[in-house]
Amino acid sequence: MGFINLLTRNKKALFGLCIVGFFILTSIFAPFITEYNAAKRVTGSHVAPSQEHVLGSTRMGRDVFAQTLYGGRVSLAVGFGAGIIVVAMAVAIGITAGYFGGIIDEVLSSLMNIMLVIPQLPLLMVLAAFIGEVSPMVIAMIIGLTSWAWGARVVRSQTLAVREKEFVVAAQVLGEPSWRIILIEILPNLVSIIGASFIGSVIYAIMTQATLEFLGLGDPTSVTWGTQLFNMQKTSAIHIGAYWEVFSPIVVIACVGAGLALLNFAVDEIANPQLRSHVGLKRWKQITAQKEAEAAQEATAQQGAAS
Amino acid sequence: MGFILRRLVFYFGAFLVAVVINFFLPRMMPGDPVDAMLAQGARFTAEQIANLRLTFGVDQPLYEQFFTYLGDVFTLQLGNSTFFSNMPVSEVLANAFGWTLFLTGTATILAFMFGATLGILAAWYRGGKFDSLASPLSLVLQATPQLVFGIVVLFSLGVTWDLIPISYAYDPELTPDYTSWEFIKNVLHHAVGPIFCIFIVQLGGFLVPMRNNMINLLNEDYITMGKAKGLSNIRVMLNYGARNAILPSVTALSMALGFVVGGALVVEVIFNYQGLGSVLYNAIINRDYQLIQGQLLIMTVFMLAFNFLADVLYVFLDPRLRKGGK
Repeated sequence: MGFINLLTRNKKALFGLCIVGFFILTSIFAPFITEYNAAKRVTGSHVAPSQEHVLGSTRMGRDVFAQTLYGGRVSLAVGFGAGIIVVAMAVAIGITAGYFGGIIDEVLSSLMNIMLVIPQLPLLMVLAAFIGEVSPMVIAMIIGLTSWAWGARVVRSQTLAVREKEFVVAAQVLGEPSWRIILIEILPNLVSIIGASFIGSVIYAIMTQATLEFLGLGDPTSVTWGTQLFNMQKTSAIHIGAYWEVFSPIVVIACVGAGLALLNFAVDEIANPQLRSHVGLKRWKQITAQKEAEAAQEATAQQGAAS
Repeated sequence: MGFILRRLVFYFGAFLVAVVINFFLPRMMPGDPVDAMLAQGARFTAEQIANLRLTFGVDQPLYEQFFTYLGDVFTLQLGNSTFFSNMPVSEVLANAFGWTLFLTGTATILAFMFGATLGILAAWYRGGKFDSLASPLSLVLQATPQLVFGIVVLFSLGVTWDLIPISYAYDPELTPDYTSWEFIKNVLHHAVGPIFCIFIVQLGGFLVPMRNNMINLLNEDYITMGKAKGLSNIRVMLNYGARNAILPSVTALSMALGFVVGGALVVEVIFNYQGLGSVLYNAIINRDYQLIQGQLLIMTVFMLAFNFLADVLYVFLDPRLRKGGK
């Protein structure tokens, strides 16, 4: 897998990967890290951080550390789940539009363009408000179903470019069925774009879920980073100065977002070598310097031989 | 001209889609829309329920309801808010709109100016210290949601250090008087926090594309030509590079302005600022459905208007497009 190789060789990508991996692991192994139940009262209201409660407690007497760990399960699951839905729809719609062209393309493209200009957050709010106290799974679904348009547009334009390549035309002339050309010939050329779009969607989904729940559209009984923030706002933890309750979900969300953004930046650089600034440029300079040195050596050697 | 007309038709279509969503969503719920609202915990008086049934026209056939609704939308009759003591939705929204526009408009324009300038510098000194610090940093900032910034800024500057007010657009004791310096100063003081939060998140959104455009352009022959002619670096950077690279950013600015109305929602809620965001928050908490729907419409209209402006600007700014049009 050259792609994974490239990812690990890029320092930014590796760093991002470590951050995201860390939070995925801590939320999966939450029961081994904390003994407290995240949804139950375990101590008094707004207890400051101590040895027993590393990150203190909320007004409801819940352990903030446990909530943040367990909250990661749902928040990350929603992020990645929605990311998968977004990418699946974007790829399906984008490739179909790009490959088949004609009236199919026209219909799908105008659908994409319309989805792009309708503001998503208010649309999600209206959807969530009418569905009512949406569970994390429903949030993942409505985010997935409303956010595919940008990815689809990128996939479509890349498909248009790949479709004209000789190897695709060759496959068509050989009489390969369309599904095979799409899956075997075209799809592998879209991997980096799909990767970038997936990571972008995961970031977007995590942030959007937190925002929707913060605004009170989510199911208040579920334990997620968003409902932590909702309860924090409702009990005015900021004004009381309960910094542990305010910053735990915030720091975690910001870290995961930063980790994913670094990963995305790296994928971007891999997909578009022109943007590579440091490593590539340095190597290029090294190579040219080496070549020049060799040429100079040869020249002196030739001069030596001539004289 | 044909291009602009086509875009207008498209935007009108997109607006209709938003209207259709607004129309069908409450009617797809089990029971009639009013039952659905009540089931969600909306608190209405008997009079309000009767009024709502009338507004939704639940006894008429669906297509008739649709045309009634369409007519209402175009005459700005978006129903009455149940939370804001029965005020018409359009009035509630209009009152809040100015504040939101003030916050986000200021923040976006500042972000554009700083972001574009820093992006030009990052591209010019590509691979240098500034670039390798600023570019990843702005990507990270961009990925950090306003939710995070808002809370951090409110907590640190507002609560801990007491530098900025933590609530409202101006002191509630003051009477709004837009000619008095005292009042304006108060408004500005209250706006610093929210504007800063919106600004910092958008900054990266302008810096990174500007940098990437500029880097692509710097490989063009005319840049090499400019340098070969012995023009000063500043001249090549600004007149040859930036002038061309800024085109997509100008349209991005206009689209970002379209987003602003939605973008400020969370910051306004955190700072308890009396714009559209706070209105929406109250609407959601109190299940004020018609107000929520009105928000979707007003934000869609705003978004479409600025997208259209971006299209027009592009034709105006890029001579290549203008020639092609003729």
